[in-house]
Amino acid sequence: MLAGVAITLPRWPIVGRRSELEMFERVLGSGEHAGLVIHGPAGTGKTRLADECRQQAAAGGHPTERVAGSRTAALLPLGAVTALLAGGLGRPGPDGQVDTVALFEETRRALHERHHGRCLVTVADDASLLDAASLALLGYLAAQKTIFLIATVRTGEPVPDLLTGLWRDGRVERVDLTDLSRAHLDTLLHLALGGPIEAGAGRQFWEVTRGNPLYVHELVLGAVESGALVERSGVWHLEDRLPATSRLLDLVEQRIGGLSAEARSVVELLALCQPLDLGYLEEALPLGALESLERAGLVTISIADQEVSLAHPLHGEVVRAHMPRLRARAILLAEAGRLEAPNPEPGPAALRIAVWRLDAGGRPDPAVLVRGARLARDAHDFRVVRRLIEAVPEEQLDAVGALLLGEALYEVGIFDASERVLALGQGLPSSEHVALRLAVTRAKNAHWGLCQPEAALAINAGARTVVTSGPLAEELVASEASVLMFSGRPDRALTVLERLAGDDRRTRTVRAIVEAVALAATGRTAEAVGIAEAGFAEHVALGDELAIAHPATHIVNQVFALTEAGRLAEAEQLGRAGAEIVASQRVPIAQIWFAANLGRVAILQGRVATARRYYAEAAGLAEASRFAGPRRLALSGLALAHAMLGDADAAEQALAERATLPAFGFLGPEQQLADAWTAVASRRPAEAIDLFRAAATQAASTGHQTTESWLWHDLMRTSGQDASARLLELASACDSPLVSARARQAVAVRARDARELTGAAGDFEALGAMLLAAEAASGAAEALSRAGDRRAATAAVRRSDALAAACEGAATPGLVHAAAPVPLSGREREVAMLAATGMASRDIAERLYLSVRTVNNHLQHAYTKLGVSSRADLAQALGSNP
Amino acid sequence: MTPEQITLVQSSFERLGPGLPTLATRFYRELFGRDPALRPLFATDLAQQEASFAEKLTEIVRAIPRLEELLAHTRALGARHAGYGVRAADYQTVGTALLDALAAVLGDGFDAPTRQAWALAYNLVAETMLEGAASARPIGS
Repeated sequence: MLAGVAITLPRWPIVGRRSELEMFERVLGSGEHAGLVIHGPAGTGKTRLADECRQQAAAGGHPTERVAGSRTAALLPLGAVTALLAGGLGRPGPDGQVDTVALFEETRRALHERHHGRCLVTVADDASLLDAASLALLGYLAAQKTIFLIATVRTGEPVPDLLTGLWRDGRVERVDLTDLSRAHLDTLLHLALGGPIEAGAGRQFWEVTRGNPLYVHELVLGAVESGALVERSGVWHLEDRLPATSRLLDLVEQRIGGLSAEARSVVELLALCQPLDLGYLEEALPLGALESLERAGLVTISIADQEVSLAHPLHGEVVRAHMPRLRARAILLAEAGRLEAPNPEPGPAALRIAVWRLDAGGRPDPAVLVRGARLARDAHDFRVVRRLIEAVPEEQLDAVGALLLGEALYEVGIFDASERVLALGQGLPSSEHVALRLAVTRAKNAHWGLCQPEAALAINAGARTVVTSGPLAEELVASEASVLMFSGRPDRALTVLERLAGDDRRTRTVRAIVEAVALAATGRTAEAVGIAEAGFAEHVALGDELAIAHPATHIVNQVFALTEAGRLAEAEQLGRAGAEIVASQRVPIAQIWFAANLGRVAILQGRVATARRYYAEAAGLAEASRFAGPRRLALSGLALAHAMLGDADAAEQALAERATLPAFGFLGPEQQLADAWTAVASRRPAEAIDLFRAAATQAASTGHQTTESWLWHDLMRTSGQDASARLLELASACDSPLVSARARQAVAVRARDARELTGAAGDFEALGAMLLAAEAASGAAEALSRAGDRRAATAAVRRSDALAAACEGAATPGLVHAAAPVPLSGREREVAMLAATGMASRDIAERLYLSVRTVNNHLQHAYTKLGVSSRADLAQALGSNP
Repeated sequence: MTPEQITLVQSSFERLGPGLPTLATRFYRELFGRDPALRPLFATDLAQQEASFAEKLTEIVRAIPRLEELLAHTRALGARHAGYGVRAADYQTVGTALLDALAAVLGDGFDAPTRQAWALAYNLVAETMLEGAASARPIGS
């Protein structure tokens, strides 16, 4: 078929992309940018434009390089960028980790030297399909201006975080490609064919392709090959109808399906293992075979790199999709066999071979798999780590492999298997470094994954007999403190931290993670904020290491500490910024903590519906990533928010879901707010009082001073019981103005002191705690009205109403009793307003996400309070009391 | 382009005859009216500029049926314009100015099919000029 190509078409032209090329020229020339992202639907010419940019850069004297992502190469850490890696894959350090930073830096230096300091213009085709490690390397080199990155991203594929990050910072420019206009299509045809085309044929090309450049390319070359499109007397005619397919993929399939067996086998080999060595293919194939494939626009040959690859990613996709599994296996194994070098040092080629063997279901060299897994781990690509190490036969697994696999299993939420492999790893010979990390990771999995803090503490204690040298033993102390803190013992955690003597960066970092939360919980909030802030800086300077939480943990801690310090607006702002970052970096555990902390902040701000949303989000994320402990906390928060909104049924439901999970000690007393508030909403006041008291007592015995103040204060809010004495003690023990404001209100309530109540309302309002402010103001109104000062009482009611308006439908007892003369709760008012419009209870229930029963309850209360007996009277009654 | 469109462009151009200098004058008036910032990119002596425009246009219109010959003209012309500082976006303005100038000079003779044919011809010329411009201005040079 290919041999039948009668004419030689000129190089396929590029049309309608001159502004984009000019932009490339500008950003490359400016020296301020790290790259250009070319974005657009399949077939709009992203690859072609990228290659055109590359050629233009080469013409200007820039060295250039090309790497490409593909679904098979994505499995192989750094597999796509082997061309950039000068000196192999880096040497492992004493603890078996590859020093990624050193590897990247070494690569940067080598490229700098090789190209005499000139910026290497690098095309990354189909960047979404690159593995995380390759992306990290490209990002590093681009940030250092060692390379100028031209990345193509197909519409609908996720844009790699690296690119969105660079783009947000204005470091890369972005062009969006669309299909060609009719005029540009005509020009393209004219230039591709070298002359005019008859009107009917031009119209048909337009109707079929709608200006999609790849479609045009495939269709024109296919039609010329098949003889459907012919030239007569300088004009192109369509002798036959164009293939009647409206799908680009079908068209590519047809073209590839029409290849000779020999040409097809070359295309298949390239689809699986590209790029391939030009010299090898020239030797292996009959003369002219490669040229005819190039002429047919199916492969590109780079003379400079001596490499051959497929002309377009779609060609590879189509070929791979249609290749029988066995055939693919045979090709991969043959290629692996051909390239297998006697060289024992695992270099880039060894990695490629390993993944080919893996894809073919074969047995790659374990050393290569472990090396690949380390690289994937450094890129936080735990799924790849798991796949690579699980391919190592268990009897060949060493301690480092066990550590990598155990950590990966923990990260993807398979805690039982993680425990098994880490325990196995602890029984294998290893360095002290690796032994330590096995212990710390296993303890973390036992605590966070399996919710067994006692087991975690036992693992720690056991490790102390194996790990004895100074700095490493220190880390076990930090690990012990962490288990204690996050199982609900901030007091004991702080005591254990006192044993921590080391002052190296790693020790300071792991210490800060525990200390910030423990100090905030015990009421030393100012110190806690400072430590969290410094801890983040230390962690960033330290770099990302095995067996330490994600750096964002410090930010989560800072949000927690700011909240406990009553700096609610700052906490909210930081929490939202952090949540955005970890969402874009896809760090599930950090996403859960940000959402849960934003829920806490919102509860204290009185934005109760917002809190419900954040807690629901946290619960969903925790469920997805299988962390039972955080999920328990989130469900507690969710029940609390529901209860404060007056929705007892929904609160009960959240508690029932929580009851299916194992106990989890972190913020234990705070979790019990949910039970107590649900009792309040369900009108079981005596039970609520008992629950608040029990939780407060537990908080007192474990050092949770800020939580204890929260619990006593809520007891007072919901039942009127006096807790002023203990609240005053806590106010002097803590440095938080939130804790002080609670005490002030409690004292004022006891003394029925309207002035002090007004003052407390002002304190809460200044902190941004609007619900607490509204309740205090309403209490002031009551005191004033009792004292006979009706004018001041009315003013206080108005103030309370205004503050309650920010509380998103909160229906707490402190508000319900308040708004005289018509004391409708926010929720009752909302339901009554809707009912007054004639809406049926069922529809109201749907609109407000309540049960019909709850709607009817609210409505009944509203009737009673307003003294009406029908919906018809509601409108009028509400009209005078909006 | 279709063969018919090539004929339309050439025949309407022939019809212009002695009106060619008027077209040139009108073209620059339309162009600078649309974007005065373009004026400094061209020679100060507008009369000379107009004469050279008429000459180039004649050469290009005659070469349209033979692509190789056309490309030789347009690529060289594009390379020269890159040196003047003309950018891709400016080509759009130039195209509109040319079509409007033709409409003004040819009057009723410039019907819809003729306009369409000229638009396509201009697109072909502009794309190949820009190609010439790009190769004349390698990055980093």
